[in-house]
Amino acid sequence: MSIIAFKDTKVLVQGITGSAARHHTKNMLAYGTKIVAGVRPGAGGQEVEGVPVFDSVAEACQSRPIDASILFIPAAGVKAAALDAMENGIKLVVIVTEHVPLQDAMAIMEAKRRLGITIIGPNTPGMISPPEKTMLGFVPARYFRPGPVGLASRSGTLTYEFVSRLTAAGLGQSTCIGVGGDRIVGLRFREALRKFQDDPQTEAVVLVGEIGGTMEEEAAELVASGAVTKPVVTYVAGHTAPEGTKVGHAGAIVSGTRGTMKSKLAAFERAGIKVALEPAQVVELLKDALK
Amino acid sequence: MRIYEHEAKQLLRQAGIPVPGSDLAATAAQAQETAQRLGGPVVLKPQTMIKARGKAGLIAFADTPQEAGQAAAGLLGREHAGEKIDTLLVEAKVGFDQELYLGITVDYTEGCPVFIASRDGGVEIESVAQEHPEQIIKRAISPGQGLTKEQAGEIADFLCPPQEVGVDRSDELRRIIAALYGVYAKFDCEMLEVNPLVLAGGSFLALDATAAIDEDALFRQADLVRPRGQSEAEFELEKDHRKRGWTFLRMEGDIGILSSGAGITMAILDLMRAGGGRPANFLDTAQMNRQGIYDAFHLFLDDPGIKTVLVNIFAGLNRCDDLALGIQDFMTEYRPSFPVVVRMVGNREDEGREILRQVGIEAIAGLEDSVTQVIKITEGLS
Repeated sequence: MSIIAFKDTKVLVQGITGSAARHHTKNMLAYGTKIVAGVRPGAGGQEVEGVPVFDSVAEACQSRPIDASILFIPAAGVKAAALDAMENGIKLVVIVTEHVPLQDAMAIMEAKRRLGITIIGPNTPGMISPPEKTMLGFVPARYFRPGPVGLASRSGTLTYEFVSRLTAAGLGQSTCIGVGGDRIVGLRFREALRKFQDDPQTEAVVLVGEIGGTMEEEAAELVASGAVTKPVVTYVAGHTAPEGTKVGHAGAIVSGTRGTMKSKLAAFERAGIKVALEPAQVVELLKDALK
Repeated sequence: MRIYEHEAKQLLRQAGIPVPGSDLAATAAQAQETAQRLGGPVVLKPQTMIKARGKAGLIAFADTPQEAGQAAAGLLGREHAGEKIDTLLVEAKVGFDQELYLGITVDYTEGCPVFIASRDGGVEIESVAQEHPEQIIKRAISPGQGLTKEQAGEIADFLCPPQEVGVDRSDELRRIIAALYGVYAKFDCEMLEVNPLVLAGGSFLALDATAAIDEDALFRQADLVRPRGQSEAEFELEKDHRKRGWTFLRMEGDIGILSSGAGITMAILDLMRAGGGRPANFLDTAQMNRQGIYDAFHLFLDDPGIKTVLVNIFAGLNRCDDLALGIQDFMTEYRPSFPVVVRMVGNREDEGREILRQVGIEAIAGLEDSVTQVIKITEGLS
């Protein structure tokens, strides 16, 4: 098993006629993803890589069952496209686009909560479930192998780096999720952890964090609460990162002292989560955890 | 992207939030004229990106136009924290009975705006939050609905109970609170603060305002995009980087880093510092190709502080040979004085290695090895 996306997940590609979307559609199909439709206003009736294109999400959804949508849409159009998918009943939406305006991201997250939808991203290479041969996004599939490790990462590039090392060490993966590099994202580490906990195939979880935000602390609190019993290994990039420009004083009131490297490492320690201080330690810690 | 106080106040004024009478002055004579026109005492405030201007002693008061001219002469041209003061906001000085705080920011964990207000204005809100949390009210805002009438009412009643300030003033405060959220939403603010909002002679006035605009929304806030606290050349460079999708931050060190992706770049910085090296920059680029890597190399070309450059390539979706050609293009054209260390793995790795050998570079496969190597070479140079 895997989490979130499976071999029968029926996928829509929004913005399918763009050149990057065409390329990634081809790769996803080759990997095994069940792409059943695409959307591009004005391009209804065309085909991309053998996938029928519709003028609207509504028309695509009327013509066939659709479980998930992946958006290849420029930042300015992401809000409208994501709301369109959600309001048409699609329960999983992957937003790869980076530089989505904050207020648009907040509007998307509100709709997500109201409608009970899983959003992956924005600003993510997507997700892949190797045992299910399903990929929603554009990770380099050849580095991934089916296996017992669940991975959730805030960084695409670090995901590839770690997965190539896991695979080389004989540690395959159940599902790998790029949760997104933006400050506001849909699925967060804590939800990923809950799902990995419930997935029988996943035996251990890797969280790849970054300085800033509170996702790492939330994950640590969930583990400390006892809700996650599988071993969790983390790596957090940014030990020596220059401190970001803190925007105003009000921001500090909302986040408090959370978000710093110190806060994250302390939270992991309290939860008994193993922290790899250097990339190479991730594989060692996982091997220990899986013994 | 932070904007100047006078720009933020202009946004407030347009939304019907009262601000004191003021004008900008670039010379002492202009400051004196403005003070004359405003009549009465004035405050002179440098329009800079510097935070906590008051603490830094950069805010001046003057009772007469002559004094205003003198004070302006003392401030203009001064340098503080690397920024030169070239413009002052000359504003009527306001006596007040009460100072309040109004702010709107983002709760990144919940993914929604939050309105924060305090009965203790004019001081740092963080210290109020620590010492007198009972003076603060917070309300999460629905991005779809916006700040509701009920929420604006709750916040206003908390700050100034109608039985104390009267119904008219209470209504005015509600209107200001609602208008402030309007500005926040309309101009894609990440943060908008009025500190203090004062009650002066029976009406409310915003004495100071701070705003930061979401950089990812600048495409629809084009009127607000202009150089601030930087030269025209720096501004154009920043615009160019944004267009290319680069986040580039020059730091103190001497090892240039050319890598794609924020996470892996931070990991490289961590490894480098742990190994005793001094990274010169943070760089996050969009996905690389031959042209992109060639272009990015130019970031280091005219920088005398760069001793070596480390290139990290993990070609999962792109190809090593294509990227190696970009490196070859650059090395052949410029013959740079700095040694280049390349870590390269991924698609068509062997082909890429062969191309790099032609310009005398032996690619390294291990990330850690490449960092160790570049540090060693850099140490050997000094």
